[in-house]
Amino acid sequence: MNPQAELLPGTLDLLILKAASLGPRHGYGILLRIQQISAGAFSIEQGALYPALYRLERQRLLDTEWGVSENNRKAKYYRLTSAGRKRLRQETESWNRLVAAIGVVLGARPEEV
Amino acid sequence: MAGFARSLLDTLFKRRQMEGEMSDELKFHLESRAQDLANSGLSPAEALRQARLEFGGMEGYKEQCREARGTRYWDEGRRSVLYAVRMARKNPGFTALVIVVLALGIGVNASIFSVVNAALLRPLPYREPGQLMTIGETRAQFDVPNPDSSYPDYVDWTRQAQGFESIAGYSGDGATFTGAGAPEMLDVGRVTANFFSALGVKPALGRDFVAADDLTDGPKIVIVSHRFWKEHLGSNANVIGEVLHLDGEGYAIIGVLPSQFEFAPMDSPPVWAPLRPNHDMAARRNLRWMHVIARPKNGVSSAQAFAEMRAITARLALAYPQEDGAVRLQIGTLREQIVGQVRPLLLTLFGAVSLVLLIACANVANLLLSRGTARKREIAVRMALGASRGQLIRQFLTESLLLALAGGALGLLTSPWCVSLMTRGIPKDQLASMPYLSSVHIDPALLAFTFLIAAGTALVFGLAPALDLSRADMNQNLKEEARGSAGSGTSRLRSVLVVAELGLALMLLVGAGLLLKSVAALFHADPGFDTNNLLTFSIGLPSIAYKDDAAALAFEQRFTGQLRSLPGVESVATVSVLPLTGGGNSVRFVVEGRPVEKGHEDECFIRSITADYFKVMKIPLVKGRFFAPTDGSGQNGTPPVRIVNRAFARRYFPNEDALGKRIRFTYSPQNPFVQIIGIVGDENAAQPGAPPAPIIYTFFDQNPDGFFNVAVRTAGDPLSLMGPIRGVLNSDDPELPMIEPQTMEQIIESSPAVFLRRYPSFLIGSFAALALGLALVGLYGVISFSVAQRTREIGIRMALGAVRRDVLRIVLRQGLLLAVGGVGCGVAGGLLLTRFLGSLLYGVRPTDPVTFAAVSALLIAVALIASYVPARRATEVDPIVALRYE
Repeated sequence: MNPQAELLPGTLDLLILKAASLGPRHGYGILLRIQQISAGAFSIEQGALYPALYRLERQRLLDTEWGVSENNRKAKYYRLTSAGRKRLRQETESWNRLVAAIGVVLGARPEEV
Repeated sequence: MAGFARSLLDTLFKRRQMEGEMSDELKFHLESRAQDLANSGLSPAEALRQARLEFGGMEGYKEQCREARGTRYWDEGRRSVLYAVRMARKNPGFTALVIVVLALGIGVNASIFSVVNAALLRPLPYREPGQLMTIGETRAQFDVPNPDSSYPDYVDWTRQAQGFESIAGYSGDGATFTGAGAPEMLDVGRVTANFFSALGVKPALGRDFVAADDLTDGPKIVIVSHRFWKEHLGSNANVIGEVLHLDGEGYAIIGVLPSQFEFAPMDSPPVWAPLRPNHDMAARRNLRWMHVIARPKNGVSSAQAFAEMRAITARLALAYPQEDGAVRLQIGTLREQIVGQVRPLLLTLFGAVSLVLLIACANVANLLLSRGTARKREIAVRMALGASRGQLIRQFLTESLLLALAGGALGLLTSPWCVSLMTRGIPKDQLASMPYLSSVHIDPALLAFTFLIAAGTALVFGLAPALDLSRADMNQNLKEEARGSAGSGTSRLRSVLVVAELGLALMLLVGAGLLLKSVAALFHADPGFDTNNLLTFSIGLPSIAYKDDAAALAFEQRFTGQLRSLPGVESVATVSVLPLTGGGNSVRFVVEGRPVEKGHEDECFIRSITADYFKVMKIPLVKGRFFAPTDGSGQNGTPPVRIVNRAFARRYFPNEDALGKRIRFTYSPQNPFVQIIGIVGDENAAQPGAPPAPIIYTFFDQNPDGFFNVAVRTAGDPLSLMGPIRGVLNSDDPELPMIEPQTMEQIIESSPAVFLRRYPSFLIGSFAALALGLALVGLYGVISFSVAQRTREIGIRMALGAVRRDVLRIVLRQGLLLAVGGVGCGVAGGLLLTRFLGSLLYGVRPTDPVTFAAVSALLIAVALIASYVPARRATEVDPIVALRYE
């Protein structure tokens, strides 16, 4: 069985915001962080990360600046803005509600209906 | 929205930088990943390959990034433009041709628009010019141009009207200026003290007139125009207080007007002085000689202002039935008075140039269609590669827009030159009444207009080929390309365009033809006198040197006597108002034995002439006799006498003999009735082409005046006598200038009636020639193209025995059909449109069949010539070559 799950549509933004909330990271760093935290549970085509980053930047949820990476190279760093923080909180709550609701539905037994 | 705008601005200014950053960022990602993979044991090359694989399609993601950032449409648009520029540069000749055709079409439109803008759209250079009204009194039931008012009425208006900030009067005058050089006749604007403040104009130097300056015994002062200050006073900043010598008297300069000041109703005179009417002018309520402008108070609507003025007029009519009983107030706007006359002219020209633009569009569409054939393969390939119809149409429209903008820019750049070329054809007098023409320049309104018509043009000429090409069936095109022929749909479209071009050109030709015919009719209209070899000029005797009537009469008799003895002079006379110069003085009169209600007397032109006037003008005597020297001065026993013209006799004595009847002028009720001793032929008083109007002639000797016009009948060229006549005048009185010397022919040439028809006929004629040229190029193109396409058919025909004449006939027939189609459209359009020329036409109906037939014949003839060239080429087809051609 394939150990990696397909990412649900729309959840990549949430993961990126969460990864960025843990401190400024460049694009590759965000990818590594997501894979590290999820222990490689998702298969993300790496290129797909960037359109999402650009979109979030344009929505002013992420701020960018150029800095120097750990291997001493010029890299673009993404940082969560306050609007991004607020959005992450909302999205997290609604995600939790969704998961809880789906959990309840999936856990239902005949006698409870 | 703000985000979008910001992103658009970002993209415009930072696009290149963003592209670079994106590449850097993605490169960093790939290399970091490769490094990590290499660290886990892969070879560097394998690591890089693996990293690329994991990343996915690089270009696709870049495109998504651009889209996410909002720059995709910009990029696509930019690509279209770049592609269009490349296409344009690939065919420089074609591109240049299209741009030039468009520049012609857009350029003439921009030029006419800049004139229309200056004349009709731009505000007059006064404070809140929209408020300014003109007020005048007329006894006519219809509106007359710029009616006069009397001073007592004006004074009553200023006293009674509450709703006005100011009511100001002005009148034209002249004075002999003796400065450094020869004496010179200057126009002088006589104005009430509040005139400039009513307009909202302050002198640039010195002061404005004040109320005290209006007093009859006020100081002798003038305000001068900026131009006079520059040309005659050396732009001297300390000129205030200096003295100007006018009519032998000193006038102190109190002010200099700003440079942009103009006052078209008086042709912007160089010198302005207080109005100060003399006794008669100030006192006589029925002497209407001044013009009035008014500005309502803020908050008073023009309707309220009108109502108040009408009420005052009604009161005056009751109080002074004799003078004001039959007077009607004519109220208008100052702008209407200034541009009213040229508006139909300008709108006609505007209409003409829009036809030229349409022709240019059709022409360019045709050119694009012809090239479209060559581009069909390119289109087919692009469609095969997945370009959508929308994308192709967008591409074509981009190309069209680019061409149109280039043409528009070129047209715009040449428009000032074009305007100066157009204004050069305007007589000096006419130009002075249109000061706004000198302020024609490229301004934002013109830029916006040019851009809009360029864009509109692109849409019109670009859409046809775009639709035609993108409609094409791809497979068909890939196959057809080998033969290089156009589909029948394209040919039909091109024929339609040529027919339209020819039709539009014909409409312009008809317009030009009708106007030309009007001009010819004007010149042929019998003015009632002989206009050849007639030199005219005016003399104004300053009252300081010529104190009374006797002095004026003495000068007149001495001077004309000396002129008669000049070699080349046949006869000499004087007249108070020259014929064909607008009409001038009129008088109210009553006929003996016909009681008339006070104030409702008849009115007609009046002329004061010397004895030889009719002989000089060659106006025939109908009945009775001319004035004779023996009629004398009227004071020493000889009774005053009158002569009238035939129009007068017909109008006022339709069933009786006017000769011997007695009339009296109403301004001298004490005077006795005076006998009519002669009836003469009708001279045209007002302007070329005007119907004969009643005239009463008085004898100059019986009532001399310090101002008169001299008419000199010469044996040869009248202008050659200018020098000798000036010499005679100089030796008599070196202070006197010869005012406005010109031949009668020059008077006719520069008269508004001729100008308003000849000028547009010249311009529309030029436009029509331009249009015809464009249309013929279009026709030539289509016929050539069709000959090239039918080479094989022609070859077969010739192989089967057709001779050159048959081939010629086939091709010419096609040209003829197109031309006839064009004539049909043009005649139909012309019949619809020429009625708008109505007010400009004279002696010819808008549907004049002769004009229509003549220009149709002309169009067909030149169309056949244009078709003949390709037809000749067709006859030179070698059947063998033609058959092998494919």
